[in-house]
Amino acid sequence: MRIKVSLAGSAVFFFLLSSLTSVAQQTRVGNLIGNASRGKALYQRYCIFCHGEYGDGRGESAPYLDPKPRDFTKAAFKCRSTASGSLPLDTDLYDTISRGVHASGMPSWKPLLRQERVDLVAYIKTFSPRFREEKPADPLVIPPEPPTSPESVQRGAELFQSMNCWLCHGKEGRGNGPSASSLTDSKGYPITPFDLSSGAHLKCGESDDGIFRDLMTGLDGTPMPSFADALKPDQTWDIVHYIHTLRTNKGQPMQTPPSPSPPSEPKAE
Amino acid sequence: MQKAKYILCVLCASLVLSLASYVPLGAAGPADAAGSGSLKGTAKFEGSALKPTRIDMSSDPNCAKAHPTPATTEDLVIGANGGLENVVVYVSDGLGDRTFEPPQQPAVIEQKGCQYKPHVLALQTNQKLDVVNDDATTHNIHPMPNNNREWNKTQPHGMPVEETFPREEIAIPVKCNVHPWMRGYIAVFKHPYFAVTDKDGNFDLKDLPPGTYTIKAWQEKLGTQSQKITVGANESKTLEFVFKSGS
Amino acid sequence: MGIVSVNKMGTHLLFAMVLLTATRPAHAIPAFARKYGLPCSACHEAWPMLNNFGQTFKDNGYQLGNDRDSPIYQQPAYWPIMFRVSPTWHRESNNRVPVDKVPGNSTSGLVESTVTASGFDVGAIDIVTAGTLSRNISFFVQPFIGSNSAALEQAWVRFDNLVGSRWLNFKMGKFELDEPISQERALPLSNTGGIYYNYFFTPPGDRNFFTGIGNFQLGAEVSGHSDNDYTRYSVAVVSNNNGATGLQASQAYNLYTNFNQAFEVPGLGLQRIGVYSYIGRSPTFFQTSGGQPIPGTGMGDRGFYRVGAYGQWYLGKFDFETFYEHGYDNVFLGNSVPANQPSKLPAGAVGPSWNGGFVEGHYDYNPRLILIGKYELIRMSQQANPSNRGNAGNLDTWTVGYRWYPIMNPRAGLAWVQEYSRIVNAGTAPLSGKDDINNSFLMGFDFDF
Repeated sequence: MRIKVSLAGSAVFFFLLSSLTSVAQQTRVGNLIGNASRGKALYQRYCIFCHGEYGDGRGESAPYLDPKPRDFTKAAFKCRSTASGSLPLDTDLYDTISRGVHASGMPSWKPLLRQERVDLVAYIKTFSPRFREEKPADPLVIPPEPPTSPESVQRGAELFQSMNCWLCHGKEGRGNGPSASSLTDSKGYPITPFDLSSGAHLKCGESDDGIFRDLMTGLDGTPMPSFADALKPDQTWDIVHYIHTLRTNKGQPMQTPPSPSPPSEPKAE
Repeated sequence: MQKAKYILCVLCASLVLSLASYVPLGAAGPADAAGSGSLKGTAKFEGSALKPTRIDMSSDPNCAKAHPTPATTEDLVIGANGGLENVVVYVSDGLGDRTFEPPQQPAVIEQKGCQYKPHVLALQTNQKLDVVNDDATTHNIHPMPNNNREWNKTQPHGMPVEETFPREEIAIPVKCNVHPWMRGYIAVFKHPYFAVTDKDGNFDLKDLPPGTYTIKAWQEKLGTQSQKITVGANESKTLEFVFKSGS
Repeated sequence: MGIVSVNKMGTHLLFAMVLLTATRPAHAIPAFARKYGLPCSACHEAWPMLNNFGQTFKDNGYQLGNDRDSPIYQQPAYWPIMFRVSPTWHRESNNRVPVDKVPGNSTSGLVESTVTASGFDVGAIDIVTAGTLSRNISFFVQPFIGSNSAALEQAWVRFDNLVGSRWLNFKMGKFELDEPISQERALPLSNTGGIYYNYFFTPPGDRNFFTGIGNFQLGAEVSGHSDNDYTRYSVAVVSNNNGATGLQASQAYNLYTNFNQAFEVPGLGLQRIGVYSYIGRSPTFFQTSGGQPIPGTGMGDRGFYRVGAYGQWYLGKFDFETFYEHGYDNVFLGNSVPANQPSKLPAGAVGPSWNGGFVEGHYDYNPRLILIGKYELIRMSQQANPSNRGNAGNLDTWTVGYRWYPIMNPRAGLAWVQEYSRIVNAGTAPLSGKDDINNSFLMGFDFDF
């Protein structure tokens, strides 16, 4: 009897040890746990044609799509709440699947059940070994937004100039800055900076928090960098407020944006 | 009870032993710092090549100001006697399972005059990389690795950026998206036996332990060349790499 | 059915099972899929049957809502057209058909005999062009091309997401009603098995211009749905001409309503329940000229209705569709008597009523193989003419089959279909008044480009 107890104890010990390694890989969104094998069946029904059998973004439709479908094997994602270069959180992937990505071939998959979407997240994570070897960085904490004001907008305009946003996004945010035509994504495909004046939907979420987050985390895989080390939260909110003044309807300015300080030399364009 | 304890001990011991096989033991430990062989040489270019072209930095006046005479492209820089600059020469094979601690001091890459200085930087895995912005404009530093994480950070003048690369990769292209002409490379090695040729194409691999090595030379446009050489203790050997046009 | 044919079916199924191990996931893009680069299986459980993602896409006006819906975003070569053809081999058998005792001799007298026909055949060609004319304006045009006729089955335009709301959409034209289970997207194909009889049932002796909710109707529809399509409603006002163009019937209008609600059952899937009704009036006689009825002059309108409830149930890899209908026609409609000649009604005549329903189950092995089984029945609860036999018009029908989608390429989808179905019509054999039994066996390809 005592022998059996100690053997059982060892068995428990072994089991606990093995379960420690598997906890790190569990996919969880809210109180739903993702199941990668269910996710695989769903992936083959819904996703494989664009994202490919190996999750490398080279599905049969991919040659006809612009922008190209995400290559999951690189584990670099645009829409995250973690620092640039870090893995996304499970909820980041879930949100992208649910929201879809505007102005791309990725539809909103809200008609899928919540559990189905979580299962897909679990399966997508199997495409890159990074999800097994690393953990995502701590998620960004978004401080409360201060109210907008003309001073905030002016400060935002000055930052838009000094942080060189205008080089890609253009002086009026139309996405036609001097460097815009040279931009390529990390796969080498041409990519255009977002036209902030168009009133089009942002790719990673519409709210002010979403814009704040885009600035802080950058959009990995694209030329959009992270400003996390360069800007204080207040400065980032200033830029968000300035961006609001750029967003117009049908190209007509809703209010004249304050002009940033002129460059010290006339620019030869 | 004794028998039970005995069985438990055996089980625990076997567990520990089996775990030990998964923990990578640091093989032979730190390298013999007393290696005193050295390998010097040059990388040369033969043939005809296009001259470097001028870079138009007018989109950012702060960059254009730094170059009263325009800067030129750096992807193929040939010195006076045909020496090739910015070739990474390194030991590719022959060090066995040795592991090497990264040096304490960081490797530094600067953005100066809206160009990367050095154009090609070599450092060790997990060695700190300091990125410095000397310019009166904001850059973004965007390495695009295949074997390491990709990240992209904005860097205004004076703001420090420090990163490391945990995996070997020869070489990681680095670009600045807001200044599209900017291009650099970072080569990451597991060991310290690498060098980047100077403007005359010279390199010097110091403190090599004795052994037979495969030495490779990588140039961003001309690809990689490979040679085998044996270096004894206290021996000093020379090596020449010749890159031909169209290679 | 016979042992030989069971063996044949068995080997076919076995062949299918072997191929299961070699199946790769479904890839096919006709029409909409071609526009977005999505596979057929994204919108279809197994085409043509829609899953919730596809139903939502349809309810949104064939739009995904990702700023890529307008045709101008697509490649210039994109054209929103698809066609569907089904080349098959099939066998039809009907017992108790009155035939001349001596073939060719019309005076030899009629006897009941089983009539069987089989051979290669091609089902009707479906050509559909559908999609978005521009943002939030969708359309659908479906001509019908049969072996010796052509018509316009559907042609409608829909203004989607009016006042920016998914709850308000307006459709006008000739369209399929928002049926409980779409007749156009039914999986079985055969003569006997390929229809929902409840959608087209008319009791014996009944003459109603309206012949069932399965027909395309002419009118206008207001519909809407929640964001995730869990709640849906449809209200349609249609002319009582049963979709016949040219202002054929009377001046009355009919009303169709459908409301359903879906809910998740954790671990099982999405379930949906709904109720519908069709309430209308049909003419019982026309003005005539020289004895010939003048179209559009229908008079003596009398009322009728169809109401019922239904459900779609997903239980893991199984899904079921259940449907119930209660129907009632006015006594004049039920006895084919003009309303201005009530004396022609038989003694004790009443309006007929009946109940019917079906259960269709699928096993969705994977997006490329679906097994189908269906049972449907109709029971008269009240005969129009009391001298009719009580069970006249009753029917029982069942269908089994499968659809397997073999190699697919980016342009088209191909299904291999096998299906057996059988219907027993109670007491309608013309000579003996016994049960009239039809059965169909079909196998072939369903090709969708």
